[in-house]
Amino acid sequence: MTLLANPRVQLALRLLLGAFFVYASLDKIASPAGFAKIVYQWQVAGPVPSNLVAATLPWVELVAGLLLIAGVWRREAALVIALLLVVFLGAAASVLARGIDVQNCGCVSVAKEAALSAWPPAWTRGVGWFLVVRNLLMLAGALAIAFVRRAPTEAEASQPTPEQEPSRA
Amino acid sequence: MPVDWKRFILILAAGASLGFAWNAFSGRGIVLGQSVLMQAGDELVKAADAKGLLDKGALFLDARPRDFWRMSRIPGSLSLPEEGFDKAFPEVEERLRRASTIVVYCSGYGCEASHIVARKLREKGFAAAILDEGLPAWQDAQLPLDTEPRP
Repeated sequence: MTLLANPRVQLALRLLLGAFFVYASLDKIASPAGFAKIVYQWQVAGPVPSNLVAATLPWVELVAGLLLIAGVWRREAALVIALLLVVFLGAAASVLARGIDVQNCGCVSVAKEAALSAWPPAWTRGVGWFLVVRNLLMLAGALAIAFVRRAPTEAEASQPTPEQEPSRA
Repeated sequence: MPVDWKRFILILAAGASLGFAWNAFSGRGIVLGQSVLMQAGDELVKAADAKGLLDKGALFLDARPRDFWRMSRIPGSLSLPEEGFDKAFPEVEERLRRASTIVVYCSGYGCEASHIVARKLREKGFAAAILDEGLPAWQDAQLPLDTEPRP
């Protein structure tokens, strides 16, 4: 756990995860109708619940992502991200188990169709192994931010605060 | 420093509130209470009612890509795919003029093709109903499919 407790690693995790979720929220916020259609295509919720998810989910991603970047309420923001990722993984498992072909997961972009040569490539867009692996990695990162006790930076170490436990240093 | 669950709930609540506010006031919002695929003028028909229409001689149109129609289809339906509508329309136009009732379907759930084809038909002066939830609803209701392959 020493690596994950490293303040620089913690900072990098926060910035990466925060930036990804802020970026992922923008296109969905810009086109609620396009995102609502994609949520409906996952076939995990009926038309009206899909609309409610589509209206609120990107804003939760944006708020949690911004908090992570700012380092404000970082544990709680990381846990919100972790909750979202668990829900996404569960839904993806359901989609894969039922053999439903979702060509654009709506994770980042809600653009209807991309050319075959387009970047990012198609296998990063659909619901498949790439999405599952990526979300598992991000889930691990989010849980590390939420639960790994950050080691003191050198500056903090030279000025001990009451919060620190010398026995663990 | 333990996790403060009040903050956790607050983040979720703030995100949801902003989302509903954006949906209401941004001008880009959707009507939350109905399928996002619905637009003014779209008319849905439930699978059981559609079967009644089929028995009375309604014309069914398959809005999926033609290869799907070749594999299986609602009995008697013609292929009028959303992609390639303009090319396929002349093939079915004569039948449309003779039809008393027209029903369009596609592969259901998030499938928008039936809505788009029905709107294009409306522009051309044909009223067409959309099969609610498409083929999955038809199959769930144990209604017949024609699975004889077509060239």
